Amino acid sequence: MKARTFLIGLAMVCLILWLGTTVQAGALDAFKGEKGTLKIAGGTAHIPVMKEAAKRIMSLNPDIQISIAGGGSGVGIKQVGEGLVDIGNSGRKPTDDEVDRYNLKMFKWAIDGVGIIVHPKNKVKALTKAQVIDIFSGKIDNWKRLGGADKEINVYTRDKASGTRAVFWKKALAKGEITPKANFVVSNGAMKSAISQDPYGIGYVSVGHIDETVAPVAFDGVVPTLDNVKQGKYRIARGLYSNTKGDPTGLTKKFIDYLFTPEGQKIVQSKGFIPVK
Amino acid sequence: MIKVYETIAEKLFLLSAIVSVSITILIFGFMLILGLPLMKGGHFFDLLTQPWAPYHGSYGIYPMIVGTLTIAFLSVVMAFPLSLGCACLISALGSKRFSRFLRRVVQLMTGIPTVIYGFVGIFLLVPMIRELFQRGSGMCILSASLMLAVLISPTMILFFSDSFDHVPKSYLNAVDSLGGSQVQKFLYVILPCAGKGVLTGLILGLGRALGDTLIALMIAGNAIQVPGSLLDSARTLTSHIALVIAADYESLEFRSIFACGMSLYVFTTLAVLGVRSLGSMHQGRKR
Amino acid sequence: MSGILLLGTITCIIGYLFLKGLDTIKLSLIFGETAPLEALLFKKQVFDGLFPAMIGTFSLVVLSVGWAIPVGLATGIYLAEYARHSVKKVFNLFFDILAGIPSIVIGLFGFSLAVFLHKHFSERIYPCLLISSLSLAFLVLPYLIRTTQVALESLPAATRLTALALGATRLQNIFYVLIPKSLSGIISGVILAIGRCAEDTAVIMLTGVVATAGVPKSILSHYEALPFYIYYISSQYSNTQELLSGYGACIILLTICVFLFFLAFVIKRRLTYQALYRV
Repeated sequence: MKARTFLIGLAMVCLILWLGTTVQAGALDAFKGEKGTLKIAGGTAHIPVMKEAAKRIMSLNPDIQISIAGGGSGVGIKQVGEGLVDIGNSGRKPTDDEVDRYNLKMFKWAIDGVGIIVHPKNKVKALTKAQVIDIFSGKIDNWKRLGGADKEINVYTRDKASGTRAVFWKKALAKGEITPKANFVVSNGAMKSAISQDPYGIGYVSVGHIDETVAPVAFDGVVPTLDNVKQGKYRIARGLYSNTKGDPTGLTKKFIDYLFTPEGQKIVQSKGFIPVK
Repeated sequence: MIKVYETIAEKLFLLSAIVSVSITILIFGFMLILGLPLMKGGHFFDLLTQPWAPYHGSYGIYPMIVGTLTIAFLSVVMAFPLSLGCACLISALGSKRFSRFLRRVVQLMTGIPTVIYGFVGIFLLVPMIRELFQRGSGMCILSASLMLAVLISPTMILFFSDSFDHVPKSYLNAVDSLGGSQVQKFLYVILPCAGKGVLTGLILGLGRALGDTLIALMIAGNAIQVPGSLLDSARTLTSHIALVIAADYESLEFRSIFACGMSLYVFTTLAVLGVRSLGSMHQGRKR
Repeated sequence: MSGILLLGTITCIIGYLFLKGLDTIKLSLIFGETAPLEALLFKKQVFDGLFPAMIGTFSLVVLSVGWAIPVGLATGIYLAEYARHSVKKVFNLFFDILAGIPSIVIGLFGFSLAVFLHKHFSERIYPCLLISSLSLAFLVLPYLIRTTQVALESLPAATRLTALALGATRLQNIFYVLIPKSLSGIISGVILAIGRCAEDTAVIMLTGVVATAGVPKSILSHYEALPFYIYYISSQYSNTQELLSGYGACIILLTICVFLFFLAFVIKRRLTYQALYRV
């Protein structure tokens, strides 16, 4: 029985991949005549892509309603597992425990990095891993020690449900502690706007979200840019996942398929992520 | 036939009253049951006094309680002189037209959505505080309590001026005939007479400040620490609930928000009881 | 001095909003790129506009006030007309407590209720418009009860007794005499409740509001709302365009609330005058 389910799942995945490669023109055709609602929650890095995809689908077919909520990767995995939403996004790979407990199916549709950012006026533009660990644990608390202005460092972090935090914590901070003085923000977008307003702040954000309002900081000599992530030079990289409980069906499946079509992958690229194809 | 309708109607009215009351109890019940795993074995007081350190398995909400109380009290302290001044302008000192105008504005202020105060706080107040003190991110206790002070002062002003207006006319006339000035009249007659009302207004303002979520969430910075100065960032019980609601449903971290909910419930209930006992004392004296 | 300070602050706040946001107030703020008529007829979804949020807020208000009014009025009537003194005292205490509960705690209650129902009752229930509107109804219930009760109790004894003396039953007395007479008070309570529903953010944040949902299709779906939109934009706008629409949303919400407030005020005055002078 189990084996059969697995085989069917495998077949599905193959089908999806196949669909993704063959359907060239009119990737949205699949949604014609569809009806119903699709609920998406979780990773906040995913939201721009989800919004754009939803916008295109809903403009073509107003009978479909797609709702998109944030919350963080932990929320996405939890809510899809509990059946509260149809697709749960996560900016980290779900743990084996989570996959087993909820029978999750993962779809990785983009590659992203987590970059450290500061205010554009800040002179500090490069940090070593040791320095980063010290900054976030609160050991270094003044920009002066890093060659910047004589100002206190304002550390910004995300809450525990964040996949961005999980990846950053593991790969950049080597699972070190984060100072209790850190300000909390609720999403990648919020992190970016907080840093862009705070001349002495430091935070971490999805590479896809970095724009001219904030300045990326080189980590161990590598600047977090799309190219560096793509070439594997920048090490704090991660996949962006959409997870479903069991195999996706109906509208959910069509939505995920759409993300893998050339059109969907173009959206991924235009929002600053690296397409998987 | 009519008799039956009468009875049915009365029963219906009673039923809805009971439903409304049971909601109050139900809310408390939910908080209690869902927060229970954290409190098992008499750990409840540990919970209130321990620091928050999820990596060490400690989910105390002490920093949040301190944050909440600091911000709430500070905002009341800031709003109090302001409200007292405005209330006395409205009821005693100001010219008739000006005080009517002021009262309208204050009434209008009660209708302004909280989220708008928060929005303006982020984009106007926070940068100002940051530039002014050249320290920290500007998201701090000071910003939050300043904004909260603006939020709660209308409630306090209206309450104060109401209680000033209830000072018996004969007292006022007595002062006038003795040749007392407006200011003297206010300081020595109105204020002592309206003391209870002022206190009630204060408590109501405090309750409002304790329970507000959006302002603290948006501009207090949300760091989980026991704040050391006014320019430190802090987290309140309310914003803790809003932030952690997203966590794993079964985790202890998630349970902690029910403890927050319960603390808030208890705080505000105490405030309400305080107001009521003041009220009944007041009535008793009148009779 | 303090008067000037207060007036200065409030002028600053409102002035700042209008200064920044006035340019954004145009049709495209509400309807985005969709033609307004098609949006109004629900033929097409609106993107990058406030229309779904406005519809969300509107349906939220209608639903929650719809729940709260019957229960609130009935409870108010019971307290004012039927309850014995001791019962009244206990009930009043409970409603005072309910009125004092912070909105976020009510939101938390609504959220746990939704999860509870989802697990034990029906798979189809999750945080949604229905749950939000119920929670909001709990939030405004004490206001409604209190205004109804006070309006009824403040009627003069003469009004109260005339119909009874003429042989009307208690119920007839309530519906044909007492309620019409105290209508102004009751209605202004209702309008204040509407304003509260329209502005509250903490409750809906926990009970089903989302960043993007389009116009809600049923009461079991997610929805958008104006106050949440403002909160969302304030922390995670991605470009100046979005930030400006946040200012626009602020102005719209402010206008709605102020308008409701004045409506309550006018109704109260107008009806009081009528009650006083016409009879």
